[in-house]
Amino acid sequence: MKNKTNSCPNQSEKLKLISMLANKAIASIKNGSLKKRNLVWLELTGCSGNIISLLDGVNPGFRNLATQMVNIIYDNSLMVADGEAAMEKLFSIADDDYILLVEGAVATKDDGLYNVIGQLNGQPVTAYRAINELGPKASYVIAMGACACDGGVTAAKPNPSHAVSIQSVLNRKVIKLPGCPCHPDWLMGTLSYILLYGQPELDSKDRPTMFYSTLIHDICPRRPFFDQGIFAEKLGDKTCMFKIGCRGPVTPVDCPIRKWNQHVNWPIGDDSPCIGCAQFGFPDRMEPFISYNTTREE
Amino acid sequence: MSEQQLYNKDFEHIISEINNTIDSLYLTKNCYDKNKLLNNLRRQIANITMLMQNNRINTDSMIDPKNPTASKVFTPAELATYTGKDGNLAYVAVNGVVYDMTNVAAWGGATHFGLTPGKDLTGVFASCHDGQPILSTLPVVGVMAP
Repeated sequence: MKNKTNSCPNQSEKLKLISMLANKAIASIKNGSLKKRNLVWLELTGCSGNIISLLDGVNPGFRNLATQMVNIIYDNSLMVADGEAAMEKLFSIADDDYILLVEGAVATKDDGLYNVIGQLNGQPVTAYRAINELGPKASYVIAMGACACDGGVTAAKPNPSHAVSIQSVLNRKVIKLPGCPCHPDWLMGTLSYILLYGQPELDSKDRPTMFYSTLIHDICPRRPFFDQGIFAEKLGDKTCMFKIGCRGPVTPVDCPIRKWNQHVNWPIGDDSPCIGCAQFGFPDRMEPFISYNTTREE
Repeated sequence: MSEQQLYNKDFEHIISEINNTIDSLYLTKNCYDKNKLLNNLRRQIANITMLMQNNRINTDSMIDPKNPTASKVFTPAELATYTGKDGNLAYVAVNGVVYDMTNVAAWGGATHFGLTPGKDLTGVFASCHDGQPILSTLPVVGVMAP
């Protein structure tokens, strides 16, 4: 039985792909055929969820990234330097080659004063200024998580800080990895691919097709229940959660295969519907997350 | 555009996609690209199957665009009762035709990107799904009163 569930090569190969790409990048850097690139991790207006998510990743994980793949120039959560020294380090990279990873949305009200990320020469540095100065010069800009990609929770109604996505303030290609948070594999796979080959294949909304090409609904282990009209009535039921508001049919990402917390489980595997966190419009346009008293079964 | 014209347009669109995929299959040597194209082919065939099934259902049902008196005609007030809540079915009008969204996957919990049923959604439909083969795959239940 176990063999039967693990037999689809499409699924097992997808899981292996990330470590294959990362190991290839690491080996190429080790033998000198590839150069380590600089990496700037800019946290704007968010919850630090994406860096926490990355720290939870394995094979490859954060240690591989920091020690074998890139030079991390700046990360407000993890770097040793603080205060002005940290800000100086951040802006000193501007004339060099670097890849810019951004988590969090951009607060734009009052010239961005709703989010000050540090002080430089005694002046407050807003997230708005940081993205405007560092975004255009980066060799690649990757938006991680729902907030950076589309405003997300930060820009949810009533959006008091007038937060917007990274793309709204940058007139350039921004690779988008939506999700709340972004899965460590989605980031490590994209970054490894960039180091090895450059920009990966993107869909019409600039999401890498290697992760964001198939609807959850199309590869959901509970799909047979949908096809037969057998629906869950409450949380905890083991059947299709379409009637209580599952967003799997509108969310194209590979959660059913990849799962979370080191590939252990995912919302639907734990009897809770997909809330569409990896689709644009989350959270406002994905609500309500749970609906009772909906339509009858036909 | 009538239902039948929509159907024909979508049908032709998918057939030309399938032909393109087959052409590309002849050219590609990479096994990953080949798998991706085969995946596309399967999806396109599934789309055609869905299109044909729904067309059959719609042709067999009471809707006859040439003879609207035989169709169920909805007033806006009547449509507004099909909210998808409390056991009511979920109906939505687009371009004067009323569709049953009750069991359409993308309308989980009878909502879709913040939209609710019981309304005419012609404008928002055009702004998001223009040119996509969607309408002809939906079950038709009637027309809006002129």
